[in-house]
Amino acid sequence: MLADFDAIVVGSGITGGWAAKELTELGLRTLVLEAGRPILPEQDYVEHKPPWEMPFRGLGDRRANASRQSIQRHSATFDEMSHVFWTDDVKNPYSTPADRPFHWFRARQVGGKSIIWGRQVYRWSDLDFEANLRDGIAVDWPIRYVDIAPWYDHVERFIGVSGRKEGLAQLPDGEFLPPMALNCAEQHVRERMQARFGRERVLTIGRVAVLTEAHNGRAPCHYCGPCHRGCITRSYFSSVNATLPVARATGRLTLRPFSIVKSLVYDSRQNRVTGVRIIDAQTRDEREYTARVVFLCASALESARILLNSGVANSSGQVGRNIMDHMKWGGASGQLAGWTDRRVIGNRPNGIYVPRFRNVASRHPDFIRGYGFQGGAGRAGWDAALHAPGIGRAFKERLSQLGPWTMSFAGFGEMLPREENRATLHPTLVDAWGIPSLHIDCRWSDNERAIHRDMNVAAAELLEAAGAIHIERSTSGPSTPGGTNHEMGTARMGRDPKTSVLNGWNQTWDVPNLFVTDGAAMASSGCQNPSLTYMALTARACHYAVERLKQGEL
Amino acid sequence: MDRRELIKWLVATAGLQGLASLAPAELLALGRDVHRRAASRNALRALSPHAEQTVAIAAERILPATDTPGATDAGVSAFIEKMLADWHTPAERDRFLAGVRDLDVRCRARAARDFVDCTEPDQVAVLTALDAAHEEWFARLKYLTVYGYCTSEPGMRALGLYPLPGRYDGCAPLDAR
Repeated sequence: MLADFDAIVVGSGITGGWAAKELTELGLRTLVLEAGRPILPEQDYVEHKPPWEMPFRGLGDRRANASRQSIQRHSATFDEMSHVFWTDDVKNPYSTPADRPFHWFRARQVGGKSIIWGRQVYRWSDLDFEANLRDGIAVDWPIRYVDIAPWYDHVERFIGVSGRKEGLAQLPDGEFLPPMALNCAEQHVRERMQARFGRERVLTIGRVAVLTEAHNGRAPCHYCGPCHRGCITRSYFSSVNATLPVARATGRLTLRPFSIVKSLVYDSRQNRVTGVRIIDAQTRDEREYTARVVFLCASALESARILLNSGVANSSGQVGRNIMDHMKWGGASGQLAGWTDRRVIGNRPNGIYVPRFRNVASRHPDFIRGYGFQGGAGRAGWDAALHAPGIGRAFKERLSQLGPWTMSFAGFGEMLPREENRATLHPTLVDAWGIPSLHIDCRWSDNERAIHRDMNVAAAELLEAAGAIHIERSTSGPSTPGGTNHEMGTARMGRDPKTSVLNGWNQTWDVPNLFVTDGAAMASSGCQNPSLTYMALTARACHYAVERLKQGEL
Repeated sequence: MDRRELIKWLVATAGLQGLASLAPAELLALGRDVHRRAASRNALRALSPHAEQTVAIAAERILPATDTPGATDAGVSAFIEKMLADWHTPAERDRFLAGVRDLDVRCRARAARDFVDCTEPDQVAVLTALDAAHEEWFARLKYLTVYGYCTSEPGMRALGLYPLPGRYDGCAPLDAR
């Protein structure tokens, strides 16, 4: 029987868009299934809508958020305009143990979370790919930096990454567009850190998938600020802005929104997936599509859910296990004297980055792995007057006065893979389409808690080196797991089919024509924002799959 | 992490209270209340005409028109009416409205008139006392006044926040545009 398509890609987010681009460019007739609605930039992007045109001026519809998006509203970029890019928590339920909350941020629309992502892109190094082997935990990555480096190049050249080369082994340089500028205070902190810590602790401008010059037909950033509401100039990378248009231009893309994948269709006689079964989100009709190869790019937990609901590719028992995220809310801030006659103009959609420095050259006594700092410096504006004393003319003048420069460091910590951090199918809970939901049980370990404590200490050291005053360490405990939206690990790569779900090509050990290329594939979490690695792994897996198809091996 | 997220993280507690901690019972009450008021045909749904006038004058005393627009020019009272009707819980709104009524009590004690009919110096004196006493409802009025002004078109233009500059300069002189 002839298949409907050569390839099916489940999901149109950051990895689904890449799979669509690579597979169609390599000649495959490709169906992309997206659970959510279509996105029309001219209509759906609202980044330039001024606050006075919003009913709640940006404070959001408190009642609707609390009742329909009680989880999603915790996301860092959730606001009155962007809330439409997150799911409805009532229609898409999941459960956790009562005392172990997990924030599962989800996006169902063409483009997925690539519309609302943080856009920070960092390469991993062998410090990361060798970590599990070195520490003797979980499973060894089946790949090393040399395997993925050309694919980092490939992805960076297409998406456009602004950044500065620093020559650090733990954070390899890439193919960068001109960096965005540090502001006066950040430049000062960079120099003081250099004087105090040399090459050990380096402050650099964030490496960000936002254009600083025209690139592949997309315009440079105009520094308006709220990227997470869309970008009509296509200046930041998303599926909608970049990969899907290229895939469409090949003439080989079929994009089907409102298509919720219920399960894979598995032929046990041939040991192949022959396609996928979907529910139309609007009509609720069920139907099947067939293809020669299937790519799951639905996000780490959603892809695991599809595998579990399909009962395939899980001979290792590892599907849904080893959930990782990055731990936040450790760090510090402080004031810097000076530059009172200077201010920032424009909204730079990017901050600073301090690459990992713990357990790089030396060994920390309290924990393995490490963390990086993001953050930046700025001056408070009218928001400082919200709680200031006084009324009248003098009080009003405060609105236009700027506060002192304040520098902040916020840690992003690595989380270890642990089998007991696990998503399973809920025995009774289903979503609005009757598909079994997940029960997610995930918590930090002592290693993450030790990292959190050290973030506060080290951030304060950086501020002291910079000569900051009024240094305040974070008083928050570790963030809620899942809350960084870097969930990963639920169908990990490995070298052994008994202990991993995927081989080194993102191909399931059990079913040769089934690939998983989103965050599920990760065998460890690093501390760098992971999307660049997901994209590179996806492109690499697509080329491998097409090669195997041509050889008649799938 | 961009500055927006940083600010959200660092000053998460500076916002209006309760957004993250609305109890289910309060939510239900809020839901019922919004439906009831949406059904009424009055343009004003939370404030009486007298209370609206009181709030508008109080907001103007907090942010008066000077060489730049004031709270009245920025339409602050309409924003406060909207927030009271559709954002705050009934309990929060009732505390706020009781505070607005208390302005009349204080002005009558001082000058035998309602707040709206008092002289400007008397109005300022009453509001200054409330500000110094950190009255909760007054802090809310002030917050909403400042927030409403700084997110209005006249307010944002006056503060140089609109239109957007379309460029980035991380170390510009204060008077640069």
